[in-house]
Amino acid sequence: MNGDYSKFLHTFFEEVTEHLSVLESGLLTLEQNPNDVEILNRIFRSVHTIKGAGPMFGFTTMSRFAHKVETLLDPLRNGKFSATRQIIDLLLKSADCLKMLVEAAKNGTVIDEDKTVLDLEARLETCMTIPPPAPVTSASRTYQISWMPGEDLFQRGLNPLKLFEEMGRLGTIRSCMLATSRLPDLVDLDPQRCYLSWTCTLETDYPREDIESVFEFTTPPGGLTITSLSSCSPAAQPTQKPDPEPAPPIIDEEEDPQLAEVFFGRKSDHWLGAILVEQKAVTPVQLAKALDRQDTLRAKTKEQKAETSMRVDTEKVDKLVNLVGELAITQSMLSALGGRFEIEHLPILQERLLQLERNTREIQERVMGIRMLPISTAFNRFPRLVRDLSIKVGKNIQLLISGEDTELDRSVIEAIGDPLTHLLRNACDHALEPPEERVAAGKPEQGTIRLNAFHEGGKICVTVEDDGRGLNRDKILAKAIEQKIITGNDTLSDDQVWALIFRPGFSTAEKLTDVSGRGVGMDVVKRNIEELGGIVSIKTVTGRGTIFTLNLPLTLAIIEGMKIRVGQDTYIVPLLSILESIQPKADMVKTLIGTGEGVNVRGVFYPIVRLYEVFNLQPEHKNPAEAILLILETEGERVVVMVDEILGQQQVVIKSIEENFRKVDGVAGATILGDGTVGLILDVRGLVKLARQEQSIAV
Amino acid sequence: MAMAIAADTQESGQQQVIGVEGHQFLTFCLGEELYGMDILQVKEIKGYTAITKIPNMPSHIKGVLNLRGTIVPIVELRTAFGMPTIDYTAFTVIILVVVRDRILGLVVDSVSDVVSISQKDIQASPDFGTKVDVKFLSGIGKSGDKLVALLNIDQLLTEGYMQEATAATA
Repeated sequence: MNGDYSKFLHTFFEEVTEHLSVLESGLLTLEQNPNDVEILNRIFRSVHTIKGAGPMFGFTTMSRFAHKVETLLDPLRNGKFSATRQIIDLLLKSADCLKMLVEAAKNGTVIDEDKTVLDLEARLETCMTIPPPAPVTSASRTYQISWMPGEDLFQRGLNPLKLFEEMGRLGTIRSCMLATSRLPDLVDLDPQRCYLSWTCTLETDYPREDIESVFEFTTPPGGLTITSLSSCSPAAQPTQKPDPEPAPPIIDEEEDPQLAEVFFGRKSDHWLGAILVEQKAVTPVQLAKALDRQDTLRAKTKEQKAETSMRVDTEKVDKLVNLVGELAITQSMLSALGGRFEIEHLPILQERLLQLERNTREIQERVMGIRMLPISTAFNRFPRLVRDLSIKVGKNIQLLISGEDTELDRSVIEAIGDPLTHLLRNACDHALEPPEERVAAGKPEQGTIRLNAFHEGGKICVTVEDDGRGLNRDKILAKAIEQKIITGNDTLSDDQVWALIFRPGFSTAEKLTDVSGRGVGMDVVKRNIEELGGIVSIKTVTGRGTIFTLNLPLTLAIIEGMKIRVGQDTYIVPLLSILESIQPKADMVKTLIGTGEGVNVRGVFYPIVRLYEVFNLQPEHKNPAEAILLILETEGERVVVMVDEILGQQQVVIKSIEENFRKVDGVAGATILGDGTVGLILDVRGLVKLARQEQSIAV
Repeated sequence: MAMAIAADTQESGQQQVIGVEGHQFLTFCLGEELYGMDILQVKEIKGYTAITKIPNMPSHIKGVLNLRGTIVPIVELRTAFGMPTIDYTAFTVIILVVVRDRILGLVVDSVSDVVSISQKDIQASPDFGTKVDVKFLSGIGKSGDKLVALLNIDQLLTEGYMQEATAATA
């Protein structure tokens, strides 16, 4: 086992993570439909895969635990137990534990005789109080095998008798019955064809796979059914080879107590390496080498914490390959044309260039598409979260999810998980009233939270909507005054009041619960969403509920930008932050306290930030009435930025300045403009900060 | 830092079979002065093209350039050394160097040659006292009858350049 399998490890973890999410979502669905065998089978397959793949990479604890879970799932599947809430609870906990084990394995830490693991294992075992002969220890099992060979069995030169003899070697054949139901009338009978089928009972120590392998190559799909008679369920499982079927463990820890002792450190709390050396399995030198390697691997995995690989639909890649092929053709046509160009070929050239443009744009879209994932990837964990929370806070809550197929850039999806979690926790803990209060208010006892995602004008909207009590203006104001954020004399619009809840450390909760109330959450929500270039907005009706809307850009790598000019310099302003642009009349511009300059737009006064002053540029216009004012929104606050001219809208690819240089205040990134030069993308938030600094220095 | 570079040069000089070969340096001119830099640090040489200004930067940072899709900062060496600026000519070039995994462009008056300077022909930078700051030099090399001031690019990066970068990332 000294081959370098670290690259497989990565795939393994990716797959296991997928299986874990199947497991969890399956369990939650199962809670609603406890008798759905299909779901149970899906869950079973996932657990089984984790169990089977674990030992290949030496994750024996993981696989042992998965095995225990599987043992509990088996009777559920056979209909011996039904999935009660307790069992689902236990299984969900086990899923968490598995997740923890997987995480531990990923980070290279060893969790072995961990208390949670052992506790759960014990609970899993006691849960099986009506124990079917525990499959791990049972020496022999009885199977009923129905075999219906293909009609061409004889023509292929196979002798059924040989197969039975071989099966007999596996154990004792208790009974064997011949079924002749397929026999046609004598006139139709072809003596060279096999119309027979058999049903046998076999008592054997061998696992199911071994029985299957006997009949391999002789059976058409669906022709073999093996039923364990230890179970009383009549529902037989068709066992086709490609179906990952449950089976008693192939490798049994009990089989090799010495090995088990080494791996699980049962008797001693020695390190594995020390034990191996002690037992002369390895030399100290080998051990030292292995430990070194382990260290470097660990260091590596820590560095690459963020996922560095991704899975892509093959179809998407195929399409891309086709497009690149087309691009190559266009390119060769162009170079043929360019080889001996005459001016009468100009129309052809223009046509080819158009084709090139089409190709390029399509490739760009497809490549971006590769980065897209359905938002369900982020939503999947929430049913579980809400379920657990509803139990914890003692409320009856249903979560309705829609629009989970909406596609988003994967980096955005990864980043919205936390904000959404916060919003949901808040909704569960604060927004929704306790059942009594709801009934008293004439609402259904069950609170509803809706999670929705949809496209809206080049952006993605994610809404979290509850039918709870809504935000309480007076309470927020009172708290804000108490915390000296505002004074009692301030008159604030509703939006400004709602914006207060995003302030760090702000909470109106009377008491802390371990769910929420520390006033950290909303602050994080806002910050995270804004880091993604998104906007959070709130709509609330007292007594009816609250809607949080997250406006997110489709992708992080490409944004819609507005090209603006100040003197000789061109900058890009993210379109998402532009509310409107105006050319002010002279009487709209007012100064306050001599230096503070602002503009009055429809009765609202906005401070003016002159871009040329902040960036020390040579402008064309110094008079606001001649220039263009952009009204920008950042962090719920509006500012007006003065520029010379708006050049137009453009999609820009964001490039990092920090890669070769360093962070520049007021600049979010750079991009390549149409003429090949670099254009800087403004960071509105940074710009405002910069402007304030300058003003405070000036004052 | 200069010590470290010198030690480094010496060591690799010894590794080469004939120590006389020494290192290869790309030489370039700033006015009448001849400078050299380790050729292994040079990525490419490129004619002067339009550079996008970055707001609020020290004067020696000219701006950024699009190098086949990568954004590269450009430093004007004349300004960095406190020399008077001149109008750019057809000979003005940008030398792109790789320092600590970052790409950096240096605007110089012209490139002249690639020369080998053996270790024994390199002397430590002279001390002019406070009048002239020699921290950007790792030594003075002799090539034929010409003297080449050997540039310590690492130091150039550190001065008011990388430091802010590390502060920003920290």
